[in-house]
Amino acid sequence: MSYYDIDSILTDAQKLPCTFELEVPGLGILEGNPGDNIKAGTRIDLPLWLGEMLSIGARLGTSRLVTLDIPSALSERVMNALKADPRTVDLRALAPHFYSLSERVLELFEEEEMVDVLINTFKKRASEIADHAHNPMGALGDGVEFLRGLDETERQLFRVAHDSAKETRIWAGEAKKR
Amino acid sequence: MDIDDILASVDRNDVSSPESAVLDHQLLTRFWVAERGVSELLPWPEALMNRMMGRVRKQIETIEDLAASSSDPASNNSNNNPNINLKLSILQTDLSRTQYLLRCILRQRLSKLTKHSMHYLLRVSAASSSQHPDSQINTDQQQPEDSIPDLTNVLDPSPLSAQELAFLRAHQTLLAGHFGASFLSSFPAQLRRLDDNAGGVSMVQGPDGREMVFVRCLVERVAVVVPPGDGVEVETMGTEMRMGDVWVVRWEGVRGAWERGEVEIL
Amino acid sequence: MAFPLPRGITPPEISFLAEMEMVTILPRQRLEGLELLGGPVEPLLPPRRASLPLWLALLLKRQRRANILPPPWLHPESLSLILDIETQHHEYEHTFSPPPPLPGQPSIRDHGQRPVAVPRYTPDGGRYYPAPPFLPQNVAQDHIPAGEPPSLPFHWLEVGTMLLDAASDDLVDPDQTRRLLKELREVRTAKIRSGVDVLDTASTGGGGVALTGVGAMEVGEGRGFIAGVIDGLRKIGASKEQARREQMAEDMANGGYGATQDDDDDMEF
Repeated sequence: MSYYDIDSILTDAQKLPCTFELEVPGLGILEGNPGDNIKAGTRIDLPLWLGEMLSIGARLGTSRLVTLDIPSALSERVMNALKADPRTVDLRALAPHFYSLSERVLELFEEEEMVDVLINTFKKRASEIADHAHNPMGALGDGVEFLRGLDETERQLFRVAHDSAKETRIWAGEAKKR
Repeated sequence: MDIDDILASVDRNDVSSPESAVLDHQLLTRFWVAERGVSELLPWPEALMNRMMGRVRKQIETIEDLAASSSDPASNNSNNNPNINLKLSILQTDLSRTQYLLRCILRQRLSKLTKHSMHYLLRVSAASSSQHPDSQINTDQQQPEDSIPDLTNVLDPSPLSAQELAFLRAHQTLLAGHFGASFLSSFPAQLRRLDDNAGGVSMVQGPDGREMVFVRCLVERVAVVVPPGDGVEVETMGTEMRMGDVWVVRWEGVRGAWERGEVEIL
Repeated sequence: MAFPLPRGITPPEISFLAEMEMVTILPRQRLEGLELLGGPVEPLLPPRRASLPLWLALLLKRQRRANILPPPWLHPESLSLILDIETQHHEYEHTFSPPPPLPGQPSIRDHGQRPVAVPRYTPDGGRYYPAPPFLPQNVAQDHIPAGEPPSLPFHWLEVGTMLLDAASDDLVDPDQTRRLLKELREVRTAKIRSGVDVLDTASTGGGGVALTGVGAMEVGEGRGFIAGVIDGLRKIGASKEQARREQMAEDMANGGYGATQDDDDDMEF
């Protein structure tokens, strides 16, 4: 988590399914019922920063207020789709900050297999990004759909690859400045 | 030290020799590439910069003298030397190239310093003074400027130059004053600091030593290291690079080798 | 005070750096020696050859005061041979052809010899080992040692492009040379792009990816993307790396203090 980094702040706001273990007086506002109590067993999607804070007891081994669950963006179904073909999954639709969210989730859950699936996904999609970024005509055909489905980390990767390819072409006299 | 080392160090002390000018030019160029390629501020090469600035001053005098003599009709120099304009243009091009290196190094450093200003101010003050200022005591009078550490006892501004430290302190004081005047003064006093740690997120951000750098191995072999951390108390060794190899590695894995001149940043 | 440049030197800066390479010229006029900030320049006395930094050689060439003698690698024959190594040799299917050796480093034909790096000393007592652009990798050579295969210097693309631009009349068959440079660039760019698969070896502490033989402009073009992929992989794998480090710390603690230092030498990731 980086204090001044907007992507980091936006990741912090992504939702995580949380289940309350205890009844909490007056916290009904989280469910849209201000003034009411929250009952034990209630399941609500809370932003990462809040869920993480409320679940802290769980990690300290004392009684916990909420238990966290893996968000739907990283569900088993998504992992299977990524294993089948990482390139056809629209990550942006799952979560705009898909990889930053994964990073945070992986700090909370020990999911070794998820790490492997995500690393493979990132690599496969990175090669595809490089191919599109080096195309001086920009994205064409199938590429448009793939590029639309990039998460924020991947978009930045596309931008940096595209910009450096362009800078080099400008230097070589193959492209005009701006 | 073997015999080659001793022979190689013979010319070490004569800074005015042409060989020393060649070497300093190469050192400056290599430092420029490194400063541009690494996320953290590199230690200010005081002696090298002083020698370079001395040479630049001398070269400017030479150029001015030459230009004066070429435009002086009495000296009749232009007839004696038809190449004077060519010489002038070569000397000026060479001067501009060196000035570009110096200017680019300084601007890159200022950009790193202002990006992580609190980090460097705290680092310099922590290295120099054992006691911290008691700015926390009077909390209801707290102003953003109080976050700036006391730098009066700093003897060694490293990795900054003394001028850079003065700049950074003035910069951060202005910035803190501006923050205070524009919005922080309307916050509760305890929320006005710029070095807060509340919520487990530090406001003080530094460069990331784990970012990647491209390096060339210049000696027989260099091991990429893993600095102590995550409970491991000692530095451990990783991949080994061989002479002439180019690698992409973590900066913190080769920082020591770079300081020893065993790798160069590309 | 905004500094607009991204981290790592950009193509124009790489080009600026390549202009410090020494090249050989054949002067067409006399000029006395000069003391430059980059070091002394020898007197020009036609028809004697002289070695100058590329920027100065180009300045003289543009004013028709000198001709540039191209470096031996910038010749259609050498470039075709290098292209063969890049494309035909199984050994270099995924890597670049070997670069010219550094001083003290045995060349390809001296099999089995050990490298010996000989430092110079800086006035501050530090060790300095010269590297491109400050090695004579682009000067003309009359005698190429037998069995020495041609190789691409670190600044091949920049020096080649600049000489084609400003001194094509000094080159042997500039059109063919231009075509070969373009082909080499394409072949090698494809290698960088297909290398994404091995980048995760650089994403954990102590790891790295070798790009030996890569050119300066190729580093410039690939830097942002390669660093971005590795940083991304590192962040995804951070929890796993931390768990492994903590395990290692535990093993070290259990093995007692004596076991730490010796084990480190064998620790390869």
